Amino acid sequence: MTKNIYIGEILKNEEVAQDVFQINVALHAAFGKPQPGQFVMLRISGLSEPFLSRPFSVYSFALKKNSCEVGLIYRVVGKGTRILAGLIRGTQVEIIGPLGRGFEILRDKENIVLVAGGMGVAPLSFLAQNLRTYLPSSRIYFYLGAQNAAGIIGVEGLEKSSCSMSLCTDDGSIGKKGLVTQVFQEQIKSFSPDSTVIYACGPKEMLKGLAKIIRGTEFACQVSLEERMACGVGACLGCAVAVKNKKSSVTYKRVCADGPVFNIREIVWK
Amino acid sequence: MRGRAGIQYQRNRLEINVVKMKDKSSMNMSVKIGKLKLKNPVMTASGTFGYGEEYADYVDLNKLGAVVVKGLSLKPRLGNPPPRIMETTGGMLNAVGLQNIGVDAFIEEKLPFLRKYDTKVIANIYGESYDEYKKVAQKLSSVKGVHALEINISCPNVQKGGLSFGADPKTAAAVTRKVKDATDLPVIVKLTPNVTDITVIAVAVEKAGADAISLINTITGMSVNVLTKKPRLKNITGGLSGPAIKPVALRMVWQVLQKVSIPVIGIGGIMCAEDALEFLILGAKAVQIGTANFINPQATIEVITGIERYLQMSNVANINKIIGTFKP
Repeated sequence: MTKNIYIGEILKNEEVAQDVFQINVALHAAFGKPQPGQFVMLRISGLSEPFLSRPFSVYSFALKKNSCEVGLIYRVVGKGTRILAGLIRGTQVEIIGPLGRGFEILRDKENIVLVAGGMGVAPLSFLAQNLRTYLPSSRIYFYLGAQNAAGIIGVEGLEKSSCSMSLCTDDGSIGKKGLVTQVFQEQIKSFSPDSTVIYACGPKEMLKGLAKIIRGTEFACQVSLEERMACGVGACLGCAVAVKNKKSSVTYKRVCADGPVFNIREIVWK
Repeated sequence: MRGRAGIQYQRNRLEINVVKMKDKSSMNMSVKIGKLKLKNPVMTASGTFGYGEEYADYVDLNKLGAVVVKGLSLKPRLGNPPPRIMETTGGMLNAVGLQNIGVDAFIEEKLPFLRKYDTKVIANIYGESYDEYKKVAQKLSSVKGVHALEINISCPNVQKGGLSFGADPKTAAAVTRKVKDATDLPVIVKLTPNVTDITVIAVAVEKAGADAISLINTITGMSVNVLTKKPRLKNITGGLSGPAIKPVALRMVWQVLQKVSIPVIGIGGIMCAEDALEFLILGAKAVQIGTANFINPQATIEVITGIERYLQMSNVANINKIIGTFKP
């Protein structure tokens, strides 16, 4: 036995964009530093509804003297997130983690392209911060898309990590008008597959579009997937994703334990 | 253990201050399911605990009465396409579709890990034909480290298999007989609640030679997305589990207990020691913890310590003195 269920205390739970909240939770320092792309399962102590824990990618992490502060962002989409959004500072939550396999950092790639759609910004922001520390000389190009200007979050922090930002929105209210994958596609020729790695996270349609764009190229590309989960540790088999195995027949992997980060070429997009 | 004010290292374990009437070491928590002896009456439910290793970081498997592993078939099974799960009020629906690595891979890759622990391993088995049940049972009976078989005749998700065997007393009895003939291990038959009268099936499998009965499996259910007008599960229907089904499980365990004399194992929505005790008081010899593992990886351990505390508070030294003490 090596892992615990951590009791966390909410330090803040604020609306940072329309219907998007950032929740920061204080945990015992033994929680340890998550790898970018890893996630936590969170539930509200003592409440029977929402019933299941919810998975959230780590957005920020700071080690304090005897504690650590884990930041998560979420969009209010249903009953569970609506209840979560109503929690005040000081409320206790239960957290297990850090869980799953995060992004693999490739030291030989000096150009790093991050493609995020909507809430996909969470793990990629955390990745960008980490890359600044581990690979200080790398160039980070961050393509960030949302439905509209109100859905674009975390830009200040990303600029602090000296990311070169390209913003786009469906309605053109900020940055370029169009899909984030289209904006990236227009500039793909300026990157060489030898020196570039692509990391992406966002809605399934966006990732599917990206898979199409890089099909036939040599770009290394890792994507973080989202799926409904019950356990988060690989037992319930609820978060299945269709993948091609070595014999190129289709099989299922678990987003929680085999991912959430996968090689984009492994995924079978429907 | 506490770090900075308000930040705890571990989940807060409720410590009720009771006069220690019974020392824990003198307490007897062991129960017998036929010839299978368990160190305590708490097992994991099949399909909610993987092959044990998934939870070994959170739970000391040595402390469990038994680990019941994910249902095994003769060949690996892919399972259903996603989405496979959906939260509902007080529970969840699943349509995993019996995805598993197959009995051979289980013996090769998973059983060696479980053998390292001092707990009983119960293999849940599944087949689409009598012959498949028989072959899976034979394979598991010829290796070390499997202590009992639990026959899944009740999974509601796979159209051509499970349900048809478990919903008819004749086929349920026939499967039981096939497996009994193929093994010397104790055979537990896990019943589906999706029948008109569960006691008819229970009596049929008892007559066919079952050593014990476990119940209930999930209750078939559905959920609809009103925006897309599509089912929440790709499989359309799924099995409901969690605290929402506990009253149904208790009722069925109670009914079955009236009709059979073999041991009964209670399953269905157990979240805490009090829930488990309800089944034990009715007369179930043991319980299985399922969906609770998902929301609290240490649910099994908390149920065990909670039952021990209940014995202390009741000034009873032996769990068997609690089993079947129901006063209707």
